[in-house]
Amino acid sequence: MKLGSWAVRTGKKLLALLFSLLALATAVFYISRLAPGDPLVAYYGQRAERLTPDQRAQAEERLGLNDPIWVQYARWWENALQGDFGISYKYKMDAAEVIASRAGNTLVLGGAGFALIFVLAPLLGALCAWREGGPLDRVLCRLGAAVSCIPEFWLSLVAILVFSAALGWLPSSGAYSVGGGGLGDRIAHLILPLGVVVAGHLWYYAYMVRSRVLEEARADYVLLAKAKGLGRGRVLLRHCLRCALPSYLSLMAVSVPHILGGTYVVEMVFSYPGLGTLAYESARYQDYNLLMLLCILSGGVVMCSGMAAQWISGRLDPRVRARDGEGAEP
Amino acid sequence: MSGPFERVGVRPLPPAPPQPRQRRGWPVCSAVILAAVVLVCLGSGLLPGGDPAYMDLQNCGVPPSARFWFGTDAMGRDVFAMIWAGGRVSLFIGAASAAASTAIGVAVGAAAGWAPGWVDGLLMRLTEILLSVPSLLLVVLLQAALGRPGPLSLALALGAVGWTGIAKVVRTEVRQMRRCGYIQAAKSMGGGFFYLLRRHMAPNFFPSILFMIVMNVRNAIAAEATLSFMGLGLPPETVTWGAMLSLAEKAALGGAWWAVLAPGIFLAAVLLSMTSLGERLRGRAGQGEGNL
Repeated sequence: MKLGSWAVRTGKKLLALLFSLLALATAVFYISRLAPGDPLVAYYGQRAERLTPDQRAQAEERLGLNDPIWVQYARWWENALQGDFGISYKYKMDAAEVIASRAGNTLVLGGAGFALIFVLAPLLGALCAWREGGPLDRVLCRLGAAVSCIPEFWLSLVAILVFSAALGWLPSSGAYSVGGGGLGDRIAHLILPLGVVVAGHLWYYAYMVRSRVLEEARADYVLLAKAKGLGRGRVLLRHCLRCALPSYLSLMAVSVPHILGGTYVVEMVFSYPGLGTLAYESARYQDYNLLMLLCILSGGVVMCSGMAAQWISGRLDPRVRARDGEGAEP
Repeated sequence: MSGPFERVGVRPLPPAPPQPRQRRGWPVCSAVILAAVVLVCLGSGLLPGGDPAYMDLQNCGVPPSARFWFGTDAMGRDVFAMIWAGGRVSLFIGAASAAASTAIGVAVGAAAGWAPGWVDGLLMRLTEILLSVPSLLLVVLLQAALGRPGPLSLALALGAVGWTGIAKVVRTEVRQMRRCGYIQAAKSMGGGFFYLLRRHMAPNFFPSILFMIVMNVRNAIAAEATLSFMGLGLPPETVTWGAMLSLAEKAALGGAWWAVLAPGIFLAAVLLSMTSLGERLRGRAGQGEGNL
């Protein structure tokens, strides 16, 4: 009985996920084809402008670009269901292969950024709550608010200006030096982009932890704990922070698109060979197949993390689960 | 044994200590900075700075001096004049896109809150899908679909992406309100949906979305700067803060720090002032003394 209802609910969610992905794919396909621009430029580069009308028609025929959009869309699905996502016009390779060759870099940058933020935010938030209203807290609040509302690309520019152009400590672009390089080289190239990704997002989450912990600090059980003789640090870490964690975890799961988007921007400024640079190129040069696959991938990751967030907060907080089961009216 | 009884073991409570920090006042500094930038941008035609598009080819890449307060860029344009011209475009985009996103958000939110459950479910599913795509990518696609790139089309594209937060809040508020007596009363006297929305519901939910409107202005300005920086926003001849920074990327490697710092500091100052104003509008929880 219980297992059955659980299966039904999970099935419903999976169905909703599939439906959302379908809607996303349709929208991206139609919008990208309707947008002005010449995909042949992506395929032939500068030569596209010198093609005779005859050659043009042939090329379009070969790439299947002169059929009605819905025919193209149906064909795309037909191939996609067999695991063929078409070729990238720019790289003349399977779109999936192009993405696979770049995904590792993004995974390293985004994953490391996410992990650092995930660990540092509660620490920073708890530190601020510990010193609430004191000079350290106030300085951190001001600084954090300032850094988090500066756009990432400018933060990257200033970082390049200071650490690469002026001081010459770190490389300004790429993921490794020309001609290879070992692990140290990779890490040196990673420091600046990673620093910007973390700096740009950290405060948002740390501030959330800070205000949740402070909310908890005003609850009565804190008085009780204090009356029992527990130390300040123990109350803060073992009681207040612990109560703040469920909402933090679900926030972090929803934060994936946020951090992913930030990673994409930072990648572009640092010419870091990852999915962000790829997405930017494909949107700019009408590389339809690549763009399509990238959007679906990003969308899929984001939707899955949204579901994970719901699941986590349901696990940790029975009130959410109860509300979920009850359904409809809030 | 005369006189009043002595009370034993009861101590009168000491008077409550004064609250150490009262509710914060308005962020005067932010308001002044913002007002100054907006005013100067609007009146920039009156400044003696000169034409932002004029290329003084004898003075390319000059550091800040008495003549060029913020220096000149690689094409010999006066950065000081460009900042005000660019600010006008940036602020227009912020305001127009916030107007668009508020309109869409209120419309969708009110519809979802008022309509029967299945419409509500459909609309909320739609917002979730929209939220799931990295928004900058969506803006690029939308703007391409809208045709000729310009400040207005970019503002509309940004507005069409940024309305989800407002819609969610409006939906919740309308949902709570529609069972209230005064709404029922107005409805039974023949008030239509739009009348109710305008007269009874909007004044109630407006304070809670005001904060989000300010944040939308801010987000739109930041997004425009990011897009123009990447060369995906406005056509290259349009001067905005983001476009100035995109030209500055190469200059930075050559050591022309003023071309990076000047527009960036203005951008950061405006965004920061808007954030602190928005935070003040939201009001904050956690007043009073902690028990820690």
